[in-house]
Amino acid sequence: MKMLIGFEVHQQIATERKMYCDSPTNYQDVPPNTNVCPICTGMPGSKPMPPNERAVNAAIEIALLFGCKVITGEPIYIQRKHYDYPDLPSGYQRTSLPIGINGELQGVRIREVHMEEDPGQYDPTLGTVDYNRSGVPLVEIVTEPDMHSPEEARRFLRQLVRVLEYSGKVRPEAGGAMRTDTNISLEGGGRVEVKNINSVKGAYRAIKFEIIRQKSKLERGESVTRETRAFLESQKITISMRVKELEEDYRYIPDPDIFPLIIDKARVEAIRASMVEPPYLREQRLVEQYGIDSTAASVIVSERELADLFEAVAKEIDPKLAATWFRTKLKKVLNYMKLRAADVKFTPEHIVGLLQMVDDCEITPEQGELVLRQLVKHPNDPRNILQELGLERIKPEELRAAINGVVSANPDAVRDYQAGREEALHFLAGKVMKLTHGRADARKIIELLRTKIMGEK
Amino acid sequence: MGEVTKAKLEAIRNLDLSAVENIQRALENLSKLNPRINAFIGPNPDAIAQAEAIDKKLNRGEHVGKLAGLAIGIKSNINVKGLRATCASKTLEDYVSTYDAEVIKRILNEDGIIIGMTNMDEFACGSSGETSAFGATDNPAASGYIPGGSSSGSAAATAASMCDLSLGSDTAGSIRNPASHCGIVGVKPTYGLVPRQGLIDLAMSFDQIGPFAPDVYGAALLLEVIAGFNPNECVMLNVKGVSYSEELGADLKGMRIGTSPKFRELTDPKIMGVIDSAVEKLQDLGAEIIEVKLPHLEKGLPAYYLIMSVEFFSATRKFDGRKYGKRIEDVCGDEVLRRILRGGYISRKEYRGKYYQRALQVRTIIREELIAALEKADVIVGPTVPKLPHKLGTSLTPMEMYAYDYLTAPTNLASICGGVIKAGKVDGIPVGLQVQGKMLGEGEMFRVLRAFEAVS
Repeated sequence: MKMLIGFEVHQQIATERKMYCDSPTNYQDVPPNTNVCPICTGMPGSKPMPPNERAVNAAIEIALLFGCKVITGEPIYIQRKHYDYPDLPSGYQRTSLPIGINGELQGVRIREVHMEEDPGQYDPTLGTVDYNRSGVPLVEIVTEPDMHSPEEARRFLRQLVRVLEYSGKVRPEAGGAMRTDTNISLEGGGRVEVKNINSVKGAYRAIKFEIIRQKSKLERGESVTRETRAFLESQKITISMRVKELEEDYRYIPDPDIFPLIIDKARVEAIRASMVEPPYLREQRLVEQYGIDSTAASVIVSERELADLFEAVAKEIDPKLAATWFRTKLKKVLNYMKLRAADVKFTPEHIVGLLQMVDDCEITPEQGELVLRQLVKHPNDPRNILQELGLERIKPEELRAAINGVVSANPDAVRDYQAGREEALHFLAGKVMKLTHGRADARKIIELLRTKIMGEK
Repeated sequence: MGEVTKAKLEAIRNLDLSAVENIQRALENLSKLNPRINAFIGPNPDAIAQAEAIDKKLNRGEHVGKLAGLAIGIKSNINVKGLRATCASKTLEDYVSTYDAEVIKRILNEDGIIIGMTNMDEFACGSSGETSAFGATDNPAASGYIPGGSSSGSAAATAASMCDLSLGSDTAGSIRNPASHCGIVGVKPTYGLVPRQGLIDLAMSFDQIGPFAPDVYGAALLLEVIAGFNPNECVMLNVKGVSYSEELGADLKGMRIGTSPKFRELTDPKIMGVIDSAVEKLQDLGAEIIEVKLPHLEKGLPAYYLIMSVEFFSATRKFDGRKYGKRIEDVCGDEVLRRILRGGYISRKEYRGKYYQRALQVRTIIREELIAALEKADVIVGPTVPKLPHKLGTSLTPMEMYAYDYLTAPTNLASICGGVIKAGKVDGIPVGLQVQGKMLGEGEMFRVLRAFEAVS
């Protein structure tokens, strides 16, 4: 069955000050209603201050990252969108007309990028409102309904969040700073909008639920009405909010208290010149520039800081070796420790030093991983870590002694091997490794054992 | 004539009159007259203490501000920290301001003393002063008649010497109309000249705070204190350090003054009689009188009422009764409710093109017309209000009430400035001459007002 899925994604822009006043934006870190002023609480007579320039620049950069055409040289009105809700101190939300239009990401057309302001936080149980969040700048990205399955929608949304976070201009999705509405329609049914989704996972579940709900309705010969529904995260279902005929009229008017934004071309070009390379372009470049495979490149660009680290390392050492290590070992260690690349304290030189030792066969890859794990916890010269862990390369006589010891202590296994049972050699090798605490290379142990038991060839 | 404010400031500065004495005199007038006139609805209990502080500075020979020791009344839609900004409405009857409006900061910085909050039409919705939830205001210059509105209390208080100067706000004539009826000077500044931070909205794209004074000097002085760029709001003109009070000449030589036949069409002939002789005086002072065409002037009024209602609807959405005060629709008077309902109705999606957009087009036409006229003439003079004020308590239809604004609303539609000075009387009631100037043409406007004052 043919289906169309589109998104409206809202994410908080990471500025220190709110959109139309000087109050700080760290609303989660302070007691309720302390980061407020007459403007963001809409006290009688208060007027907005001029729009936060950094927030506007961030929105321009985000529009450019999605390949949008930024609207220049003409007024972009800030509109008042009226609705009645306790979290909205003035009874309207300020929302701009598009800053950028006609973009594209992963084959999905981006209709527009515009700016909004966050309302406060209402607690219906307590009947209280915290206005600390009120006035925090938001960017909203609206797509065309160009996705055709929940999986495709999830893939797209993940990539979109990645691009936003890459820009360094938004608050991370994980902190609840991302909210999305999604619209889903099946062939023969009305368009349904689902609100109140605040994660990629939630969006996927909401879409899945909707498709099943709509499909079964259509199969029963019922019609799917055009309506707005809310996603209930806890139950993973959607419930009806209002049908199209009862949709609110927001009575948009241009806010008479704010001059419209006029963005000039020079400003856009300055932002373009200094903006971050979006992950999808960076991935392509890494493949071409360093000759690494695209699977590794995709993992490496998943976090901007990881990619930065990779490029610093790849300048000093074989990029393919580095790519393998980044894709497998480093990503594994970071995931295990629940860390983001932005959180690590070690330097590119540390990684280069480590990989150099592996490349020179001074240490085994397994030892390398142990060093890496330590490096993430307590950044230090990898050689020092090696010493601390007691992993310096084993001396040949010590290894020989260990082999002699194992051979004489396990006559049965030696006999088995001599009788042609290859597994027996692996059993002996394991014993040697245990004895040497993994400091010797497994291949070397096998080779020495074979020589010892079967004699020189 | 017209030296009251200057003389008083000099007396205070020379220690012939203390600030405390001045405030006490105003308060005496207030307690004597206010029960009848009802101009003040919220006195400032700290006024005497503020005056004492200024006297200390004066006695020590320290520098004092331009308004040192003057008693200033404030319209109840302007926030003064610690005082009630009720907008003369039940909605905000218990709302105590948590911050000072920018204009209040500037007045305090120049050592002006806020003597209290004045009565007004509820949320500035009215042209008579009668829609106040705190009762109507009487006209000190013509007892038993309306003082005009919506800045009724500020005009009446200044006219009755309950304060030296006062602030009003003007959205379609709310300063100029009561200035005319009360026989004092009132000025609506160019839109964007005076900060609105802290002014409770009627219609954001028209509202301007402006001064009332017994004389032109006082109005010029108070305007230059409150005018000028404020970086903490958006819609302002980039104007700094304006000065009017020192540049009030008495000569009008070389000045081109425009009049329009349209004014006569719309105005009571008795009022036009007073205005005609005022224009003759201006000619005698050396001005060249020229005729300007304002063919669409009367269309400004309906356009204004539509745009204002939409903006007022938007502005009042915050009065939902949740954070402070009471839900506006539950407690407000008829005129406020009428405007909210009208604004909500015509801003509906399906009516946008029919009313609001068309009204905005008319606004553009009026603006272009007035600006073109002001390219030919330095100022345009004419009547302020087309008819005489009614007796308090007379029942008027909404349209009859709105008709008071025919000649003042276009100034706001065009964002230009306009000032009013008493030109004479009809049947014992003051009639004001309105002088409209270009955008930021306050200097020329004051020059005409002062020249006229000097010979009246």
